[in-house]
Amino acid sequence: MKPDPQPNSHDTQLDALFAAARGHTPDTSRAEFAFETRVLARVREEQRSSLLAWAWRLTPFFAALAILAGCWCYLQTGFSTDPEALIGALGDGGRSAITWLTEGNS
Amino acid sequence: MSEAAPTDETLVRETLAGDERSFATLVARHKGRVLGTCARFARDGQQLDDLGQEVFLRAWRKLRSFRGDAPFEHWLARLTVTACYDFLRRERRHREQVSLDDMVLEMRDASADATVAARRARELLAWAMRQLGAEDQLILTLLEIEERSVRDIASTTGWSESNVKVRAFRARARLKEILTRSHEA
Repeated sequence: MKPDPQPNSHDTQLDALFAAARGHTPDTSRAEFAFETRVLARVREEQRSSLLAWAWRLTPFFAALAILAGCWCYLQTGFSTDPEALIGALGDGGRSAITWLTEGNS
Repeated sequence: MSEAAPTDETLVRETLAGDERSFATLVARHKGRVLGTCARFARDGQQLDDLGQEVFLRAWRKLRSFRGDAPFEHWLARLTVTACYDFLRRERRHREQVSLDDMVLEMRDASADATVAARRARELLAWAMRQLGAEDQLILTLLEIEERSVRDIASTTGWSESNVKVRAFRARARLKEILTRSHEA
């Protein structure tokens, strides 16, 4: 009985297809042109975006810090509701603003 | 007397110290080989450019993990293969179905010009390869088209040599099946 030639012929066909693909060297000259410049541009872009991402990630930390600083300032005044004590704690810089807020701008 | 070109390892150290020009030199030195491999997987110039940039961007991100145990070229080859594999997996998710009818007819035409026949053969192979999974495409491209050794593929993919052989055998069988079905259709 003759063996089935099909599997072998499929292998030969497949080898021929691979040989055709091997025989062709892809032309990369267009992609190679100024390639370094494009890569460096993307590297810089990524550096910039990673800095922004870090700044964004640190936002809750700075917000918490601001709240803690506010609480600390408030506690330093000894829970006093006296505007003069608060003004004293904030110094001269905040005096006019607090006076304006507590006494009105009339 | 001209100064000797800096080694890859020196350029890596300089890049890590913040010298972008050293990284540009590394890119210029290795872009030919990287783009040559990527071109086997990309379907057009735009994809090739994107894939090539992706490889070097990954290299830049992971440069600190390069310990210099193996040559930089090998390290980059591993990154290239991984990037190509990820690209194939992404591509497979939105691959397009192309009709084969005209292509097969021309392949059977004995009077067709040799160059056209070779181009058609490549297109037929590319079409059939796109029907395969990412792993199958990767392994057949590296083994059969790039003619890399089993050991080389094992070291770049991280698979064992016997695993590479088994995967290649199965991928080839699947490719044959796809081509047979296309001829029968």
